[in-house]
Amino acid sequence: MKKDGMLYTVIFSFIVCFVFVFILSFTNEGTRELVQFNQQVARQKAILSAIGIAYESDAQVPDLFERVERIERNGETFFRTERDGRTIYAKEFAGAGLWGIIEGVLAVDAEISRTVGLEIIDHNETPGLGGRIDEAAYKEQFRDIRIQDDGFRFPRGVPADPEEGMIDAVTGATRTSESMVDILSSVVLTMRSTLGR
Amino acid sequence: MSNAAAPARPGAILKSNLWTSNPIFMQVLGICSALAVTNLLVNTFIMAVGVVFTTAMSNLTVSLLKKMIPRKVRMIVQTLVIAFYVIIVDIVLRAYLPDVSRALGPYVGLIITNCIIMGRAEAFAQSNPPIISFWDGMTSGAGYMGVLMVIAFFRELFGFGTLFGFRVMPGWFPDWTIMVMPPSAFFFLGLIIWIGKNIMNREAA
Repeated sequence: MKKDGMLYTVIFSFIVCFVFVFILSFTNEGTRELVQFNQQVARQKAILSAIGIAYESDAQVPDLFERVERIERNGETFFRTERDGRTIYAKEFAGAGLWGIIEGVLAVDAEISRTVGLEIIDHNETPGLGGRIDEAAYKEQFRDIRIQDDGFRFPRGVPADPEEGMIDAVTGATRTSESMVDILSSVVLTMRSTLGR
Repeated sequence: MSNAAAPARPGAILKSNLWTSNPIFMQVLGICSALAVTNLLVNTFIMAVGVVFTTAMSNLTVSLLKKMIPRKVRMIVQTLVIAFYVIIVDIVLRAYLPDVSRALGPYVGLIITNCIIMGRAEAFAQSNPPIISFWDGMTSGAGYMGVLMVIAFFRELFGFGTLFGFRVMPGWFPDWTIMVMPPSAFFFLGLIIWIGKNIMNREAA
Protein backbone atom coordinates (compact mmCIF):
# COMPACT_ATOMS: atom_id res chain seq x y z
CA MET A 1 0.00 0.00 0.00
CA LYS A 2 1.32 3.46 -0.89
CA LYS A 3 2.10 5.50 2.22
CA ASP A 4 0.68 8.68 0.74
CA GLY A 5 -2.24 6.95 -0.94
CA MET A 6 -5.83 7.70 -0.05
CA LEU A 7 -6.62 4.29 1.42
CA TYR A 8 -3.56 4.15 3.66
CA THR A 9 -4.20 7.70 4.89
CA VAL A 10 -7.79 6.92 5.82
CA ILE A 11 -6.95 3.63 7.52
CA PHE A 12 -3.98 5.16 9.37
CA SER A 13 -6.02 8.12 10.60
CA PHE A 14 -8.79 5.83 11.75
CA ILE A 15 -6.47 3.54 13.69
CA VAL A 16 -4.55 6.39 15.31
CA CYS A 17 -7.78 8.12 16.40
CA PHE A 18 -9.25 4.87 17.64
CA VAL A 19 -6.23 3.93 19.75
CA PHE A 20 -5.78 7.34 21.37
CA VAL A 21 -9.47 7.89 22.03
CA PHE A 22 -9.76 4.37 23.43
CA ILE A 23 -6.96 5.01 25.93
CA LEU A 24 -8.52 8.35 26.89
CA SER A 25 -11.98 6.87 27.44
CA PHE A 26 -10.41 4.13 29.51
CA THR A 27 -8.53 6.64 31.69
CA ASN A 28 -11.61 8.81 32.01
CA GLU A 29 -13.79 5.87 33.00
CA GLY A 30 -11.16 4.65 35.46
CA THR A 31 -11.01 7.94 37.31
CA ARG A 32 -14.67 8.89 37.05
CA GLU A 33 -15.70 7.72 40.51
CA LEU A 34 -12.74 9.49 42.06
CA VAL A 35 -13.57 12.70 40.19
CA GLN A 36 -17.22 12.52 41.21
CA PHE A 37 -16.21 11.87 44.81
CA ASN A 38 -13.88 14.90 44.69
CA GLN A 39 -16.69 17.06 43.33
CA GLN A 40 -19.07 15.86 46.00
CA VAL A 41 -16.55 16.56 48.77
CA ALA A 42 -15.86 20.00 47.28
CA ARG A 43 -19.61 20.76 47.36
CA GLN A 44 -19.99 19.54 50.93
CA LYS A 45 -16.93 21.53 52.00
CA ALA A 46 -18.41 24.65 50.43
CA ILE A 47 -21.73 24.21 52.24
CA LEU A 48 -19.97 23.58 55.57
CA SER A 49 -17.68 26.57 55.28
CA ALA A 50 -20.52 28.88 54.20
CA ILE A 51 -22.41 27.82 57.35
CA GLY A 52 -19.21 28.31 59.33
CA ILE A 53 -18.60 24.73 60.46
CA ALA A 54 -14.87 24.11 60.79
CA TYR A 55 -13.28 20.87 59.60
CA GLU A 56 -9.71 19.75 59.99
CA SER A 57 -9.32 17.35 57.11
CA ASP A 58 -11.29 16.23 54.07
CA ALA A 59 -11.95 12.89 55.79
CA GLN A 60 -14.21 14.58 58.37
CA VAL A 61 -16.31 16.33 55.76
CA PRO A 62 -18.86 13.57 54.96
CA ASP A 63 -19.52 12.94 58.70
CA LEU A 64 -20.02 16.63 59.47
CA PHE A 65 -22.22 16.97 56.43
CA GLU A 66 -24.48 14.17 57.72
CA ARG A 67 -25.64 16.52 60.48
CA VAL A 68 -26.87 19.13 58.04
CA GLU A 69 -30.57 18.70 57.32
CA ARG A 70 -31.72 18.80 53.71
CA ILE A 71 -35.12 20.41 52.99
CA GLU A 72 -37.04 20.37 49.72
CA ARG A 73 -39.73 22.99 49.24
CA ASN A 74 -41.42 24.15 46.02
CA GLY A 75 -38.73 22.41 44.01
CA GLU A 76 -35.94 24.31 45.80
CA THR A 77 -33.36 22.57 47.97
CA PHE A 78 -32.18 24.15 51.20
CA PHE A 79 -29.87 23.08 53.97
CA ARG A 80 -30.70 23.72 57.60
CA THR A 81 -28.56 23.27 60.68
CA GLU A 82 -28.04 24.59 64.18
CA ARG A 83 -24.79 26.32 65.10
CA ASP A 84 -24.19 27.88 68.53
CA GLY A 85 -27.93 27.64 69.23
CA ARG A 86 -28.88 29.52 66.06
CA THR A 87 -30.74 28.11 63.10
CA ILE A 88 -28.90 28.64 59.82
CA TYR A 89 -30.21 28.14 56.30
CA ALA A 90 -27.96 27.61 53.30
CA LYS A 91 -28.75 27.44 49.62
CA GLU A 92 -26.66 26.46 46.64
CA PHE A 93 -26.89 28.89 43.76
CA ALA A 94 -25.82 29.15 40.13
CA GLY A 95 -26.00 32.36 38.11
CA ALA A 96 -24.49 34.15 35.16
CA GLY A 97 -21.08 35.71 35.77
CA LEU A 98 -19.05 37.62 33.19
CA TRP A 99 -17.64 34.59 31.35
CA GLY A 100 -19.68 31.70 32.63
CA ILE A 101 -21.77 30.31 35.43
CA ILE A 102 -20.82 31.12 39.00
CA GLU A 103 -21.80 28.39 41.46
CA GLY A 104 -21.67 28.72 45.18
CA VAL A 105 -23.42 28.55 48.54
CA LEU A 106 -24.94 31.36 50.57
CA ALA A 107 -25.78 30.85 54.25
CA VAL A 108 -28.17 33.13 56.14
CA ASP A 109 -29.82 33.27 59.57
CA ALA A 110 -33.30 31.94 60.39
CA GLU A 111 -35.03 35.28 59.61
CA ILE A 112 -33.06 35.70 56.37
CA SER A 113 -32.10 39.13 57.63
CA ARG A 114 -28.33 38.64 58.01
CA THR A 115 -25.77 36.66 56.06
CA VAL A 116 -23.74 33.93 57.72
CA GLY A 117 -21.25 33.17 54.98
CA LEU A 118 -20.51 32.70 51.30
CA GLU A 119 -18.53 30.04 49.50
CA ILE A 120 -17.79 29.75 45.78
CA ILE A 121 -17.87 26.24 44.29
CA ASP A 122 -17.06 26.94 40.66
CA HIS A 123 -16.60 29.88 38.32
CA ASN A 124 -14.90 30.83 35.06
CA GLU A 125 -14.12 34.46 35.84
CA THR A 126 -10.86 36.11 34.72
CA PRO A 127 -8.03 34.68 36.84
CA GLY A 128 -6.49 37.36 39.04
CA LEU A 129 -9.42 39.76 38.50
CA GLY A 130 -12.99 38.46 38.70
CA GLY A 131 -11.52 35.12 39.75
CA ARG A 132 -10.65 36.74 43.08
CA ILE A 133 -14.25 36.27 44.22
CA ASP A 134 -13.08 32.90 45.52
CA GLU A 135 -10.41 34.52 47.71
CA ALA A 136 -10.96 34.94 51.43
CA ALA A 137 -10.84 38.76 51.25
CA TYR A 138 -13.99 38.80 49.14
CA LYS A 139 -15.86 35.92 50.77
CA GLU A 140 -15.19 37.02 54.34
CA GLN A 141 -17.20 40.18 53.69
CA PHE A 142 -20.28 37.99 53.85
CA ARG A 143 -19.94 37.21 57.53
CA ASP A 144 -22.87 39.15 59.03
CA ILE A 145 -24.19 41.60 56.46
CA ARG A 146 -27.66 43.02 57.09
CA ILE A 147 -29.70 42.00 54.04
CA GLN A 148 -31.89 44.78 52.59
CA ASP A 149 -35.42 44.30 51.23
CA ASP A 150 -34.01 44.03 47.71
CA GLY A 151 -30.93 42.04 48.71
CA PHE A 152 -27.42 43.49 48.41
CA ARG A 153 -25.95 46.64 46.85
CA PHE A 154 -22.68 48.43 46.04
CA PRO A 155 -21.30 51.29 48.07
CA ARG A 156 -21.19 54.45 45.93
CA GLY A 157 -18.42 56.79 47.04
CA VAL A 158 -18.59 55.61 50.65
CA PRO A 159 -16.93 52.78 52.55
CA ALA A 160 -18.99 49.57 52.40
CA ASP A 161 -21.41 49.49 55.33
CA PRO A 162 -22.51 45.94 56.26
CA GLU A 163 -25.58 47.37 58.02
CA GLU A 164 -26.73 48.76 54.65
CA GLY A 165 -26.27 45.45 52.83
CA MET A 166 -23.20 46.75 51.00
CA ILE A 167 -20.56 44.52 49.41
CA ASP A 168 -17.23 45.84 48.16
CA ALA A 169 -16.50 45.08 44.51
CA VAL A 170 -13.28 43.41 43.35
CA THR A 171 -10.95 46.03 41.86
CA GLY A 172 -10.75 45.69 38.08
CA ALA A 173 -13.68 43.27 37.98
CA THR A 174 -16.78 45.45 38.03
CA ARG A 175 -18.85 43.16 35.82
CA THR A 176 -18.14 40.08 37.91
CA SER A 177 -18.88 42.00 41.11
CA GLU A 178 -22.16 43.28 39.67
CA SER A 179 -23.10 39.73 38.71
CA MET A 180 -22.42 38.57 42.26
CA VAL A 181 -24.69 41.25 43.70
CA ASP A 182 -27.46 40.32 41.26
CA ILE A 183 -27.10 36.58 41.79
CA LEU A 184 -26.99 36.80 45.58
CA SER A 185 -29.88 39.25 45.75
CA SER A 186 -32.05 36.89 43.76
CA VAL A 187 -30.97 33.93 45.94
CA VAL A 188 -32.09 35.84 49.02
CA LEU A 189 -35.42 36.76 47.42
CA THR A 190 -36.01 33.11 46.44
CA MET A 191 -35.23 31.97 49.96
CA ARG A 192 -37.60 34.54 51.44
CA SER A 193 -40.50 33.66 49.17
CA THR A 194 -40.03 29.89 49.50
CA LEU A 195 -39.38 29.78 53.23
CA GLY A 196 -42.00 32.47 53.87
CA ARG A 197 -39.94 35.06 55.73
CA MET B 1 17.77 29.33 13.94
CA SER B 2 16.54 26.50 11.76
CA ASN B 3 15.62 23.71 14.12
CA ALA B 4 15.66 20.91 11.60
CA ALA B 5 19.39 21.48 11.19
CA ALA B 6 20.07 21.61 14.94
CA PRO B 7 22.87 19.25 15.98
CA ALA B 8 21.44 16.14 17.61
CA ARG B 9 23.82 16.11 20.57
CA PRO B 10 22.19 16.24 24.02
CA GLY B 11 24.47 19.02 25.33
CA ALA B 12 23.99 21.18 22.27
CA ILE B 13 20.21 20.67 22.38
CA LEU B 14 20.12 21.64 26.04
CA LYS B 15 22.03 24.85 25.41
CA SER B 16 20.00 25.67 22.34
CA ASN B 17 16.62 25.12 24.00
CA LEU B 18 17.44 26.84 27.26
CA TRP B 19 19.41 29.73 25.83
CA THR B 20 20.40 30.38 22.20
CA SER B 21 17.01 29.50 20.74
CA ASN B 22 14.89 29.58 23.87
CA PRO B 23 11.29 29.13 22.74
CA ILE B 24 10.01 32.17 24.62
CA PHE B 25 12.62 34.88 24.43
CA MET B 26 14.41 33.99 21.20
CA GLN B 27 11.67 32.39 19.10
CA VAL B 28 8.86 34.28 20.88
CA LEU B 29 6.58 31.25 20.69
CA GLY B 30 3.88 30.24 23.12
CA ILE B 31 3.65 33.70 24.61
CA CYS B 32 -0.14 33.59 24.87
CA SER B 33 0.13 31.44 27.97
CA ALA B 34 3.20 33.37 29.09
CA LEU B 35 0.91 36.40 29.34
CA ALA B 36 -2.10 34.62 30.82
CA VAL B 37 -0.81 32.36 33.57
CA THR B 38 2.17 34.22 34.98
CA ASN B 39 0.56 36.28 37.73
CA LEU B 40 0.95 33.54 40.35
CA LEU B 41 4.04 31.36 40.78
CA VAL B 42 2.14 28.21 41.80
CA ASN B 43 -0.15 28.27 38.77
CA THR B 44 2.79 29.04 36.51
CA PHE B 45 4.80 26.15 37.91
CA ILE B 46 2.07 23.53 37.48
CA MET B 47 1.22 24.85 34.03
CA ALA B 48 4.90 24.64 33.04
CA VAL B 49 5.22 21.09 34.39
CA GLY B 50 2.23 20.18 32.22
CA VAL B 51 3.94 21.75 29.21
CA VAL B 52 7.25 19.92 29.88
CA PHE B 53 5.39 16.60 30.14
CA THR B 54 3.32 17.23 27.01
CA THR B 55 6.22 18.45 24.88
CA ALA B 56 8.45 15.55 25.89
CA MET B 57 5.81 12.84 25.46
CA SER B 58 4.34 14.19 22.23
CA ASN B 59 7.85 14.53 20.76
CA LEU B 60 8.56 10.92 21.71
CA THR B 61 5.29 9.66 20.25
CA VAL B 62 5.53 11.65 17.03
CA SER B 63 9.10 10.44 16.57
CA LEU B 64 8.04 6.80 17.08
CA LEU B 65 5.19 7.15 14.60
CA LYS B 66 6.99 9.35 12.07
CA LYS B 67 7.74 6.62 9.53
CA MET B 68 4.09 5.60 9.45
CA ILE B 69 2.44 9.01 9.27
CA PRO B 70 1.24 9.98 5.76
CA ARG B 71 2.47 13.44 4.80
CA LYS B 72 -1.02 14.82 4.19
CA VAL B 73 -2.30 14.20 7.70
CA ARG B 74 1.02 14.84 9.46
CA MET B 75 -0.08 17.93 11.36
CA ILE B 76 -3.49 16.55 12.27
CA VAL B 77 -1.84 13.50 13.78
CA GLN B 78 0.58 15.72 15.72
CA THR B 79 -2.34 17.72 17.09
CA LEU B 80 -4.11 14.52 18.07
CA VAL B 81 -1.06 13.27 19.94
CA ILE B 82 -0.64 16.60 21.73
CA ALA B 83 -4.33 16.79 22.67
CA PHE B 84 -4.13 13.24 23.96
CA TYR B 85 -1.37 14.04 26.44
CA VAL B 86 -2.97 17.30 27.54
CA ILE B 87 -6.25 15.54 28.32
CA ILE B 88 -4.30 12.93 30.28
CA VAL B 89 -2.74 15.75 32.35
CA ASP B 90 -6.20 17.25 32.87
CA ILE B 91 -7.74 13.95 33.98
CA VAL B 92 -4.88 13.20 36.38
CA LEU B 93 -5.15 16.66 37.96
CA ARG B 94 -8.92 16.37 38.34
CA ALA B 95 -8.69 12.95 39.96
CA TYR B 96 -5.66 13.31 42.19
CA LEU B 97 -5.11 17.05 42.69
CA PRO B 98 -8.64 18.52 42.63
CA ASP B 99 -7.60 21.77 44.33
CA VAL B 100 -4.85 22.47 41.81
CA SER B 101 -7.19 21.55 38.98
CA ARG B 102 -9.73 24.04 40.28
CA ALA B 103 -7.12 26.80 40.56
CA LEU B 104 -5.84 26.27 37.01
CA GLY B 105 -9.27 25.94 35.43
CA PRO B 106 -9.11 26.34 31.65
CA TYR B 107 -5.31 26.83 31.49
CA VAL B 108 -4.59 23.11 31.35
CA GLY B 109 -6.74 22.54 28.27
CA LEU B 110 -5.08 25.52 26.65
CA ILE B 111 -1.70 23.75 26.68
CA ILE B 112 -2.95 22.10 23.46
CA THR B 113 -2.75 25.44 21.68
CA ASN B 114 0.82 26.14 22.81
CA CYS B 115 2.83 26.63 19.62
CA ILE B 116 6.07 25.38 21.20
CA ILE B 117 4.75 21.82 21.40
CA MET B 118 3.56 21.69 17.80
CA GLY B 119 6.74 23.50 16.75
CA ARG B 120 9.01 20.90 18.35
CA ALA B 121 6.96 17.99 17.01
CA GLU B 122 7.13 19.37 13.48
CA ALA B 123 10.68 20.74 13.53
CA PHE B 124 12.47 18.13 15.61
CA ALA B 125 10.57 14.92 16.35
CA GLN B 126 9.52 14.51 12.72
CA SER B 127 13.15 14.12 11.64
CA ASN B 128 14.98 12.70 14.67
CA PRO B 129 15.09 9.42 16.65
CA PRO B 130 12.74 8.96 19.67
CA ILE B 131 15.08 9.31 22.67
CA ILE B 132 16.75 12.51 21.51
CA SER B 133 13.31 13.88 20.57
CA PHE B 134 12.11 13.21 24.09
CA TRP B 135 15.14 15.08 25.43
CA ASP B 136 14.52 17.94 23.01
CA GLY B 137 10.91 18.19 24.19
CA MET B 138 11.92 18.19 27.83
CA THR B 139 14.54 20.89 27.42
CA SER B 140 12.22 23.03 25.28
CA GLY B 141 9.62 22.80 28.01
CA ALA B 142 12.30 23.68 30.57
CA GLY B 143 13.27 26.76 28.54
CA TYR B 144 9.61 27.80 28.60
CA MET B 145 9.38 27.11 32.33
CA GLY B 146 12.49 29.12 33.15
CA VAL B 147 11.33 32.31 31.46
CA LEU B 148 7.77 32.00 32.79
CA MET B 149 8.96 31.51 36.36
CA VAL B 150 11.08 34.67 36.11
CA ILE B 151 8.11 36.68 34.80
CA ALA B 152 5.78 35.16 37.42
CA PHE B 153 8.29 35.94 40.18
CA PHE B 154 8.18 39.67 39.45
CA ARG B 155 4.47 39.79 38.66
CA GLU B 156 3.44 38.04 41.86
CA LEU B 157 5.93 40.06 43.90
CA PHE B 158 4.70 43.44 42.66
CA GLY B 159 1.09 42.51 41.91
CA PHE B 160 0.18 40.68 45.11
CA GLY B 161 3.21 41.36 47.33
CA THR B 162 3.63 37.59 47.76
CA LEU B 163 5.83 34.72 46.53
CA PHE B 164 4.22 31.26 46.23
CA GLY B 165 1.36 32.78 48.24
CA PHE B 166 3.49 33.96 51.17
CA ARG B 167 3.52 37.68 51.91
CA VAL B 168 7.05 39.04 51.48
CA MET B 169 6.51 42.73 50.80
CA PRO B 170 6.12 45.06 53.79
CA GLY B 171 2.59 46.12 54.73
CA TRP B 172 2.96 49.65 53.34
CA PHE B 173 3.70 48.33 49.85
CA PRO B 174 0.78 49.09 47.52
CA ASP B 175 -0.01 46.18 45.18
CA TRP B 176 0.34 47.17 41.52
CA THR B 177 -2.89 46.09 39.84
CA ILE B 178 -1.25 46.37 36.39
CA MET B 179 1.09 43.51 37.37
CA VAL B 180 -1.90 41.22 37.87
CA MET B 181 -3.21 41.99 34.39
CA PRO B 182 -1.81 40.44 31.19
CA PRO B 183 -0.20 43.65 29.78
CA SER B 184 2.47 43.65 32.49
CA ALA B 185 3.79 40.36 31.12
CA PHE B 186 4.52 42.20 27.86
CA PHE B 187 6.80 44.62 29.72
CA PHE B 188 8.68 41.81 31.42
CA LEU B 189 8.87 39.71 28.29
CA GLY B 190 10.25 42.75 26.44
CA LEU B 191 12.82 43.35 29.17
CA ILE B 192 13.89 39.69 29.17
CA ILE B 193 14.27 39.67 25.37
CA TRP B 194 16.29 42.88 25.55
CA ILE B 195 18.62 41.61 28.31
CA GLY B 196 18.95 38.19 26.70
CA LYS B 197 19.84 39.57 23.28
CA ASN B 198 22.33 41.99 24.79
CA ILE B 199 24.18 39.26 26.63
CA MET B 200 24.15 37.11 23.50
CA ASN B 201 25.52 39.92 21.32
CA ARG B 202 28.29 40.52 23.82
CA GLU B 203 29.15 36.81 23.77
CA ALA B 204 29.26 36.88 19.99
CA ALA B 205 31.42 40.01 19.81
